[in-house]
Amino acid sequence: MTQEDVIRMTNEVFADSFEIPKEKLVPEANIFNDLGLDSLDIVDLVVALQKKFGVVIRSDERVRTIRSLGDIYQFIATINKEMNK
Amino acid sequence: MSFRKVVITGLGAISPLGNSVGELISGLEGQKSAVECIAEWENYKGMRSMVAAPVRLENEKLIPRHNRRSMGRLSIFATQAAQEAIKDALLSSEDLTSGKLGCIISSTMGSAESIAEAFEIMGPGKDLSLLPSTKFFQCISHSAAMNVAQYLGITGVVMAPCSACASALQSIGLGYDLIRLGRQDLTICGGAEGLHPSVVGSFDILYATSSNYNNTPKNTPRPFDVKRDGLVCGEGSGILVLEEYEHARKRGAKIYAEIIGYNTCGNGDHVSESNRDAIISCIRQSIASSGISAQDIDYINAHATATIQGDKEEAFAIREIFGGDTPVSSLKGYMGHTLGASGAIELIASLIMMQKSRIYPTLNLQEPDKDCQGINHVMKLMDKSINILLKNCFAFGGINATLICKKCLA
Repeated sequence: MTQEDVIRMTNEVFADSFEIPKEKLVPEANIFNDLGLDSLDIVDLVVALQKKFGVVIRSDERVRTIRSLGDIYQFIATINKEMNK
Repeated sequence: MSFRKVVITGLGAISPLGNSVGELISGLEGQKSAVECIAEWENYKGMRSMVAAPVRLENEKLIPRHNRRSMGRLSIFATQAAQEAIKDALLSSEDLTSGKLGCIISSTMGSAESIAEAFEIMGPGKDLSLLPSTKFFQCISHSAAMNVAQYLGITGVVMAPCSACASALQSIGLGYDLIRLGRQDLTICGGAEGLHPSVVGSFDILYATSSNYNNTPKNTPRPFDVKRDGLVCGEGSGILVLEEYEHARKRGAKIYAEIIGYNTCGNGDHVSESNRDAIISCIRQSIASSGISAQDIDYINAHATATIQGDKEEAFAIREIFGGDTPVSSLKGYMGHTLGASGAIELIASLIMMQKSRIYPTLNLQEPDKDCQGINHVMKLMDKSINILLKNCFAFGGINATLICKKCLA
């Protein structure tokens, strides 16, 4: 999976699950302040990312440090690398 | 102890006949049936009834995602109906957030569609981690009340006296009590229901649904008719704004009617069979609470769902109390039984009948069954002044509710 795939698929999650316009989906966007997600949405974000990428991140402490869309791109890429080791 | 006077100042309806009070009334005026064949229910083994009265869900995305995410189908209906009722009553945002306005809306259960989805998601792998965070909020029993209150910013009493097909009328009765006792000045009250095969199936396995008209859906349900064969499920929401009379008068609100009587009771006898004695008791106590006599009532909007047993019991009770003079009609033939919403949608229609001095007849009633005779069935449009009307609702669990409204000549 390329980094472009990660970005495209993550953006699809935000567009489909949270109805966020594509023009707002930039790496520096804060998922709380800029994209309007709240605590309930984070639960759904985890479920949607697990489904989209076939990963298990529900109990991963690193999820708590995510603030921006770019953080998610990086986190998913890292998880993919760890799974492929 | 003196009670405060309670009036109705706003109406909103999402119904199988259309998504506004205007469309509801237009459908009734046109003697239109919203019942249709639901072919995909043939996929359910054992389902006999293939007819229903669905709502055309539209404009749901006008509700912001943050509110909509916790709403199942019935909560969306309730929110849309509440918006219409608030607009009709000309309530301000200050009214909604004052703490003096309550929100009492209930349904048979939380969204059946959402409950089914939840089990489909976690069922196969018994995996709870796949459940969306807001699924529970769509499924809980007070989903409609909670969602409408959250959406509108209501900080007064929020309650949901869920009682299946008496849900809406019990909600209106509770809202009435809260105002007349001085606990609230305003209440947004009513019921909501979402159509789903699991709901229809619950009646179908009891042989309470209509199944002889699957190819001619407009001919069913047939309340009080000799050829009736059961109820047809519908869906939607009816919401009324109730208001303390002086509060309404001071702000120059339009007043549809005054609520003058209400009663609800159990039959203590059977969970699914209507009981004529309990219905008689419920109606008599509601009349007693209103300080009028049975002869003062100009129109009865019956519960009559077109089940063999229920219609017979209600007809007996009406005959016993009112004799054969008071006009009676059921609206189930137009839009099926909207279950938890029926008490509110049909009360709204009855209030418009009062306003127009016109009674809509029982659609599909062609020949009253001998068990249902001896009461004044309205079988064609009747122009008649209605000063006082009575609305009945009966529910699984042996629950009865009756509400009485009087034209308010403020």
